[in-house]
Amino acid sequence: MKTEKEEPALKKPDWLKVTYDQKKVDQMNDLLSGLKLNTVCAEANCPNLGECFGSGSASFIILGPNCTRACRFCDIPHGHPKEVDLFEPLRVAQATKKLGLSHVVITSVDRDDLPDLGADQFVRTIKAIKELMPHTTIEVLTPDFQGREDCLDKVIAAGPDVFNHNMETVRRITPKVRNRATYDTSLHVLDYVKQHAPKDMYVKTGIMLGLGEKDEEVYQLMDDLRAIDVDFLTIGQYVQPGPKNYTMREWVPMKRYQKYYKEAMSRGFKFVASSPLVRSSYKAKEELEAVENR
Amino acid sequence: MLKEVHMPKLSPKSDDYFFGKWVKKPGDAVKTGDVLFEVETDKVISQVESQEDGILKDQKVATGDSTKVGDLVATIEVA
Repeated sequence: MKTEKEEPALKKPDWLKVTYDQKKVDQMNDLLSGLKLNTVCAEANCPNLGECFGSGSASFIILGPNCTRACRFCDIPHGHPKEVDLFEPLRVAQATKKLGLSHVVITSVDRDDLPDLGADQFVRTIKAIKELMPHTTIEVLTPDFQGREDCLDKVIAAGPDVFNHNMETVRRITPKVRNRATYDTSLHVLDYVKQHAPKDMYVKTGIMLGLGEKDEEVYQLMDDLRAIDVDFLTIGQYVQPGPKNYTMREWVPMKRYQKYYKEAMSRGFKFVASSPLVRSSYKAKEELEAVENR
Repeated sequence: MLKEVHMPKLSPKSDDYFFGKWVKKPGDAVKTGDVLFEVETDKVISQVESQEDGILKDQKVATGDSTKVGDLVATIEVA
């Protein structure tokens, strides 16, 4: 059983310890594979999978499993895209119902190959969930749609409760880790959504730490986001998926997450989640509830 | 009755892990839900819980070992 193998790089800190209940995770996997659905949880090998699957929550990734972009931070397979599955929206809605989700997160791979860049599948999925689960709140985490406003208009019109698009990192590092996505296009997406969405639709974004960003760059990003009135910000640790991905520069100490939390809140975000294991959709339900009940 | 504990699948993308450390010693009483051992996968350190009530008998792997999904990790004496 003992074999020679390279030691893992950079020793993992204690906060990366997560619990894992195989029975519960298996139950969730059975349900998801039965419905032929992909989750970003499994596709991106999320550290929180055990916790979220264990508590019956998941974030669906539509239009996958292959992505048309090859961002260097990301664990989602890059490859030839599959045909759009028109029954997928219904199955997402069915899974939402089976799991009894009061809040559901829908994300997708990038589909630069499609004329609508995937926007219509978001619309169909939102509609299907609203039909089957009218009281479930819906959060979308979208690609940049190449900044195309017609795509954004469609998704806005479908009426999700939260519109999330991730900036991923600060301006300087963006070209190093993102593929065919720019800092300014992503800012434009968030700005456009904020300006054209109804007042009660929250606009959200997220970034990773540990890519080599400096304090002042993170603060500049916060200022850029507040200048366009983005509501929610999530900040979490980048965990390098494999040796070919962008090299993780550091395990960012907890103190810095706390510092950024304060800095972000003082700039006027409505909600900030800043902690190593925070991911864009981690505890998204609690986040929305906190703001709505204020 | 002796029950075998096998390495669960802890990562959707990989079946090869580093064994971290034992939390329970041979002879320790274990309950369902107690953390038995820690395993290092690509992105996290997973704390694996017992699925049985009983006494931990044998540990079949040690810190630093490479293990695969399905490998025999331990045995638990179940009443």
